[in-house]
Amino acid sequence: MSAPLVTEAEAAATAPATEPAVGTRSAWRTFFRQPSGLLAAAVLVVMVLLAVFAPLIADEPGGTSPDVLRSPSGGHLFGTDDLGQDIFAQVVWGTRTSLLIGVAASLIAIVLGTAIGLASAYFRRVDAVGTVVTDVMLALPTLPLMIMLAAIVNPSVWTLTVIIGVFAWPEVARLIRSQGLVVSAMPYIDGARVLGASGWRIVTREILPAVVPLIVVSVLLTASRAVISEAGLSFLGLGDPDAWSWGRILLNAQRSGVVAIAWWQTLFPSLAILLLVLAATVAGMRFNDIRDPRRNGG
Amino acid sequence: MSRTFSGRTRRWRVAVALGAAAALGLSGCGLNEGNSSSGEGSGGDAVLRVGTTTDVSNFNPLQSLSKTDSWILNAMYPHLLRIDENAKKAPELAKEYTYTDGGKTAVFTLRDDFTWTDGKPVVAEDVKFSAESIMKYKLGNVAAKLTWVTSIEAPDATTVKFHLSQPYAPFAEGVGFWMSIVPKHIFEGAGDLSKFANDSNWVGAGPFVLESATKGQRYVMKRNDRYPLAPGGKPAVGKVEFRLYPDVNTMMLALRNGDIDLMGTPVPASAAKTFANDSKIKLAKVGALGFAHLTYNMNNKDLARQEVRQALSMAVDTKSIISSVLQGDAREMSGPISPIFADYDNTEIQPYPFDPAGAKAKLAAAGYKDGDGDGLFDGLDLGVACDQSNANITRVVQLFRESAAKAGIKLTNECVERNTFLSRTKDGEYDIDASQWGVFDNPMDQLRSTYLSSNPGGINYNLLKSPEIDRLIDDAAGTTDPAAFATKIKNIDKVVHEQAYLTPLYVENFQFAYNASKFTGFVASPSDLLGMVTAYSLAQVKPVG
Repeated sequence: MSAPLVTEAEAAATAPATEPAVGTRSAWRTFFRQPSGLLAAAVLVVMVLLAVFAPLIADEPGGTSPDVLRSPSGGHLFGTDDLGQDIFAQVVWGTRTSLLIGVAASLIAIVLGTAIGLASAYFRRVDAVGTVVTDVMLALPTLPLMIMLAAIVNPSVWTLTVIIGVFAWPEVARLIRSQGLVVSAMPYIDGARVLGASGWRIVTREILPAVVPLIVVSVLLTASRAVISEAGLSFLGLGDPDAWSWGRILLNAQRSGVVAIAWWQTLFPSLAILLLVLAATVAGMRFNDIRDPRRNGG
Repeated sequence: MSRTFSGRTRRWRVAVALGAAAALGLSGCGLNEGNSSSGEGSGGDAVLRVGTTTDVSNFNPLQSLSKTDSWILNAMYPHLLRIDENAKKAPELAKEYTYTDGGKTAVFTLRDDFTWTDGKPVVAEDVKFSAESIMKYKLGNVAAKLTWVTSIEAPDATTVKFHLSQPYAPFAEGVGFWMSIVPKHIFEGAGDLSKFANDSNWVGAGPFVLESATKGQRYVMKRNDRYPLAPGGKPAVGKVEFRLYPDVNTMMLALRNGDIDLMGTPVPASAAKTFANDSKIKLAKVGALGFAHLTYNMNNKDLARQEVRQALSMAVDTKSIISSVLQGDAREMSGPISPIFADYDNTEIQPYPFDPAGAKAKLAAAGYKDGDGDGLFDGLDLGVACDQSNANITRVVQLFRESAAKAGIKLTNECVERNTFLSRTKDGEYDIDASQWGVFDNPMDQLRSTYLSSNPGGINYNLLKSPEIDRLIDDAAGTTDPAAFATKIKNIDKVVHEQAYLTPLYVENFQFAYNASKFTGFVASPSDLLGMVTAYSLAQVKPVG
């Protein structure tokens, strides 16, 4: 698993006090003014459109046809597999599963990670336990554990989502906690406490808003990792056998022994994974950049 | 077999093993790089390198064996009989066998020229010891085949007599083919043979004997210089080396690159054209001794109904499965008896036609209703379990699910990781089992292991308990007259077909690829378990030139 691209030091350096200076609207304007940010966002939008309108773009892959293992042509843009099914249709339908799992798993990770991170940042007693649990989770070999769990439960889109989400939260928690610690040491938090605000109110109304930009970045990065995890598990045969996913197209190619003779069956789903992960990562990095006071002359 | 662990515990154990295997697998990549040894070599020192996908999991030939286990151990430990290229039994250690005493005694006459690699001759006492050990410790699948044995005699060095409690027609065939003969003077000192690992200092009497084993990489076997079934009394190849390639794509590339000389596992039908333009690589085609099937769990309330099973049989398009998934390289079947057993296959019965509309009408007549108008019968939701690593079966399940939907039957694809699948199969946790039977050497043993309620072979995947079927099978088993026996088998074929306990899918042809510019003389036997790497075949192989 890749390390989070936003380091704790960087996160801590991003003082929340600078947030109001970079207004939301101008932040987005800065984001889109960079070609890489614009391109990444465009790729993500196209992917989402593909996923939503998959039934309009291509029929759900199924059945058999005599056009077995045809290379890419006008009739079959991405070629066909060993049953004669269209790879383009499989990639388009695979976008649905990959995006769904990516987004849903990252939401699970964000909710868990933010809750644990903020609680650890503000409540000292929670911190002792929360930090240890987070460290233990970070030290676990995630991939073998996910393989193990996926083998026990019945593979489906939802079980995969939960498994991936549950293993992705610790990095988010650590990130949120480190910035939460900076924020909770600020004078205005002391002020809120003096005025009699409850712990719950301080965490949800004062600290949470200050870490929201960091959460947005985390969503993108976690989602891209989740997409890779899903493809990996599906490739190992632990995915949902009823849902098309990019990993499953690769698995089909590997299992039927056509990797050497049908390059199109591995190239196009791999490109799709690359594009999505790259776009999400670049978008996350650019978004992180616009909050960085050093880059904005703040 | 003791069942100490509950299904859940076993599943955890499987999962832990899987996790560990995955972790190890990551570090195991590229194990086959940088091999310096090569298949070249003059005359008697030639090394035949065979690709395989799995490690040897067990070196004790008396226990149940996986594919790689049986390739290596069958080359070391002789069997009384072998299966030849025409799927018929042929002599190996035994010259011949006869029945006396009204079919209640089977007498094997052994050859006198087999020798263990430590110099001692292979004698009748070795056969007696092997069979008695299997019975004592209930080892492997052979134990079930020795059920009727009351005593074993070895009156001289080349005669073995099995006394049976009742006549059982295919006794000698089954035991002769499946039972490994082990050296008594080595194994008797090992104590409890169910716990004997036999993982070093091997002594064998086959054409090759293991010299070294490196888990995850290779198994090297050296020639037995006294093997009477090889031309000239000893194999022409000096060493056989099994190399591990967990992925079939890599194995095919290794063959093309000249890293191996033979693929032990068959080439997938879809990938056969990989070798189309390679003049050095030849493909040998053999039939199967098993078949692919959908088997229905009778403990499921819907599947317990004959109409539902028949409707499901009508919702599988076997013809299109054969033409697409197997590229036409397979035969259709109608009942549970494979056309390989031509004498016993009931040719009067016809496969259920592919007719989704007819299946729908059948289910409607049986009282199933589609109240919510979604095109699927209410409450009829069945899972199809399969092994995710079997390329053909996973494709079949995918197509079956689509065609069954047209008949109003909702199927859920439950193809899972192999070990999970095996443990679920063992615990009966499935509705429909989609899998492939490897080797049935005779129809009687097949029917006994798949349909008897006592489940002696452990593969009654129907979990069928039918007094009627039990009676028919027991009746046939005790019939010694060959013609009457065949008639009874044909009748069971018909009954099982009418009941639709299973939907047979296809009998596959297997293709084995080898480097014909280096080696020649393979004698391929049917099935992917035997294929090109039987003891007999390895003994006949010779280097080219």
